[in-house]
Amino acid sequence: MRDVLYLAWRYLVYHRLKTAILVTSIMLIIYLPIGLNVVVEQSAEHLTARAEATPLLVGAKGSPLELALNSLYFSSEHPELIDYSEATMVADSGLADAIPLYVRFRSRTHPIVGTSLDYFSFRNLSFASGRPMAVLGECVVGATVAESLGVQPGDAIISSSETVFDLASVYPLKMKVSGILQRAFTPDDEAIFVDVKTAWIIEGLGHGHQDLARPEAVSGVLSRSEDNIVANASVVQFNEITEDNVDSFHFHGDLADYPLTAVLAVPRDDKSGVILRGRYTDAGATSQIIRPVTVIDELLDTILTIQQFIVAAVIIVGLATIATAALVFMLSLRLRRREIDTMLKIGGSRPRVAAMLLAEVFIVVILSSTLAAAMTLVTWRYGPSVIESFVLA
Amino acid sequence: MIEIGDLRFSYDEGDFLLEIPQLKVADGETVAIVGPSGSGKTTLLNLIAGIATPRSGQVTTNGYKISELQDAARRDFRIANIGLVFQEFELLEYLNVLDNILLPYRINRTLQLDKSVRVRAEDIAERVGIGDKLARYANQLSHGEKQRVAVIRALLVQPPLLLADEPTGNLDPLNKDRVLDILLQYATDNAATLITVTHDHDILHRFQRVIDFKDFYAYGAEQRPENVAGPM
Amino acid sequence: MSVNLLKIFACVLAVAACTQDEPASEDTEAMQGPPRVYTVNYPLAYFAERIAGDSVKVVFPAPAEVDPATWSPAAEIIADYQRADLVLLNGAGYADWIQRATLSQSRLVDTSAALADRLIPVVDSVTHSHGPGGDHSHQRTAFTTWLDMTFAIGQARAVFDALVRLRPENETDFRERLTELEKDLGELDRRLKVVAERIGDQPLVFSHPVYQYLVSGYGLNGRSVHWEPHETPGNDQWRELSNALASHAAAWMIWEDEPLAETENRLEAIGIRSLVFRPCGNRPAEGSLVSVMLDNVMALEQAFPASAL
Repeated sequence: MRDVLYLAWRYLVYHRLKTAILVTSIMLIIYLPIGLNVVVEQSAEHLTARAEATPLLVGAKGSPLELALNSLYFSSEHPELIDYSEATMVADSGLADAIPLYVRFRSRTHPIVGTSLDYFSFRNLSFASGRPMAVLGECVVGATVAESLGVQPGDAIISSSETVFDLASVYPLKMKVSGILQRAFTPDDEAIFVDVKTAWIIEGLGHGHQDLARPEAVSGVLSRSEDNIVANASVVQFNEITEDNVDSFHFHGDLADYPLTAVLAVPRDDKSGVILRGRYTDAGATSQIIRPVTVIDELLDTILTIQQFIVAAVIIVGLATIATAALVFMLSLRLRRREIDTMLKIGGSRPRVAAMLLAEVFIVVILSSTLAAAMTLVTWRYGPSVIESFVLA
Repeated sequence: MIEIGDLRFSYDEGDFLLEIPQLKVADGETVAIVGPSGSGKTTLLNLIAGIATPRSGQVTTNGYKISELQDAARRDFRIANIGLVFQEFELLEYLNVLDNILLPYRINRTLQLDKSVRVRAEDIAERVGIGDKLARYANQLSHGEKQRVAVIRALLVQPPLLLADEPTGNLDPLNKDRVLDILLQYATDNAATLITVTHDHDILHRFQRVIDFKDFYAYGAEQRPENVAGPM
Repeated sequence: MSVNLLKIFACVLAVAACTQDEPASEDTEAMQGPPRVYTVNYPLAYFAERIAGDSVKVVFPAPAEVDPATWSPAAEIIADYQRADLVLLNGAGYADWIQRATLSQSRLVDTSAALADRLIPVVDSVTHSHGPGGDHSHQRTAFTTWLDMTFAIGQARAVFDALVRLRPENETDFRERLTELEKDLGELDRRLKVVAERIGDQPLVFSHPVYQYLVSGYGLNGRSVHWEPHETPGNDQWRELSNALASHAAAWMIWEDEPLAETENRLEAIGIRSLVFRPCGNRPAEGSLVSVMLDNVMALEQAFPASAL
């Protein structure tokens, strides 16, 4: 047996290109359906767990999937906006706690999630270091963000412009890291959390500037009446909130009109949840309420269907590949006729010579299977995060 | 050592016919077989080696009625008792020199590959001048080196019988002599029988006996010459 | 799988080895014990202490020398507020820092919410806007609400409701205590009404615009200047007073705290006497909210005795 395997191995090594092609082809046939299944199952598990942990989402009427993905996974595509008054309505109903979400801005690739303190207790997020954000301009970062940006509590993070050319409105805000979350193995690890008011400041809805009543600000004053000072565009606006200027930050207009991407509603009990959902069934309502579990289940059904098609295609291709491999093997035997004759002539036993040829096939299959198993392991480890980054990009 | 009696051999197709009424080769004898192409010289070697079997008659090699053995038994006998050398060397391209030499030990469980065999192989290789090329592959050797590898492969099992089919046919004069020296020296040292098919009349003088195959013409039955008995 | 487990294990070890930053605050004791109730001013802390007694731990962390209305706590103090089980807000825009802080909405209680229709806008606040037709800030409201005792009673009831939600098992006890508190505040209200009746529409000057609810609640005729009790008024300020007196001939100035003797003397020289009515936004050096208000009422009663009419 050892000699048979040795001779087979030496043949395969000598013809390494042919061997590599065969091993790769067969490995792919084995790995593709399995790997796909691993990815889909793991992704489904992650997606479902996250959705199940989020009872209800209130958002603007439109795509429920976009609302769910933006709220659960902080995808870069955000839904139509709703008013902050929607959160107040949910809270005042007495049926559910309301956690505002404003997921629109990013710092490089990391989503900035404007929310409230209740988000951390709701998601059972605890702190590895530091504390929650306390004042405007402070932020809490997920474990992955801390690692990739190399930040500690006390360091600064800067928000990114919404588009390259949008220099006039959403301007970068320098935020101070107040705390770093413990790794949660959820999308929260990738996020930067701020008070929703800080998110509004990033958008330019709130700002801090010189006190216009003070003499130093005279160059920034457009006009002055008895009870109102009109500022001109030259007034210096702060893009970093510090201890010295935080008191000057303010918001104009009614906060109830300020934007959110969603409200995370946590019903007091099942009955309250049903009643709350009932309030959004009016055809004229401008907002909707969704159960993320339902939306994600529909998404997974679609993914499963696609997966089945892909597996069927892979099986057909696989059969073709195996047939081709068999043909290659038979042609190879024909080309090796002389070598086989030599071995038989000098006294090689027929079973042994046949075993040697079959051992080549056996080794190729073993190598392919081993590689497929290794690829499956890698997929199991990294696949879901790759898929999520595609889904959320 | 080798006895052939009333042998009749033909292929399934074609009208090739080999008839040998009687042929004997003694132990330790070095024999050269000459004759025209297609006369059946290689076929004779195959019959002696048990690679082919006659339609009728018998072939006895080293006391074994090889023509009457089953295929597996003939192989087992052959690999341990007969060393074969071919005109085209017939080395395996994907094995290095050492592995080519050791090949017989890997393709039949009659032979056991152990350390003593490896040492013997390296020793013989050293003696014939290719000890430093054991890691090379066939396509990295000259013709002469290739044939020496093939010869060592044949000699490694220490067979009592060597059958060489045109062993020097593809060699230059220097390597021709070298290869012949190895074969004849082995036969002498081991009292082994050497039967060589050759077209090269320049080397005939080195053999104890020469058999001219025109005495065993492979004609159709109606064309058999009158004198068919071989020299004894 | 084993790589994943190793990483989780490493994270657990790393977290266990980490020491959390200790926030610099006065309230770093263990999280166990009675629920913690934080307030943004002393009156609310007083109400909570009167109503809940020892069943909650009431914390009002502002330093004694600051005005809580304009106090801006450090982030670490805000972190303490975040950890509180209940945060009592005054409402009416009091403690502007709340707007810039991150607090759990579910733990905040605006004690003026039910009294929103009684909030008094600040008529002389200066807003600003950006551009001729741009965003603008709204007028503010006056926020020293507890100076109107009926408003204070309304706030005390809001505190009671919030404490009952926090400790429902103590409702009966809390209600008894609330009744006692309402009695005390009610007595103050009665006496203020009596003395306000005596004052009638006599013009009064207030050293600082923080007495709107006293004025409104008791029908006083008052105008405010912007004088600090421990600072000598400048010439502009004297001129401002003089202009006010031209149409509002007050004989009394009501101060938040004892004025400088020099200022008091100078006022007396122009016919204005001083009395102290402490708003008591922060914890007093001695006494309690009720005792301070009692002193305030007595000061008014002394200044406007029954026999003076």
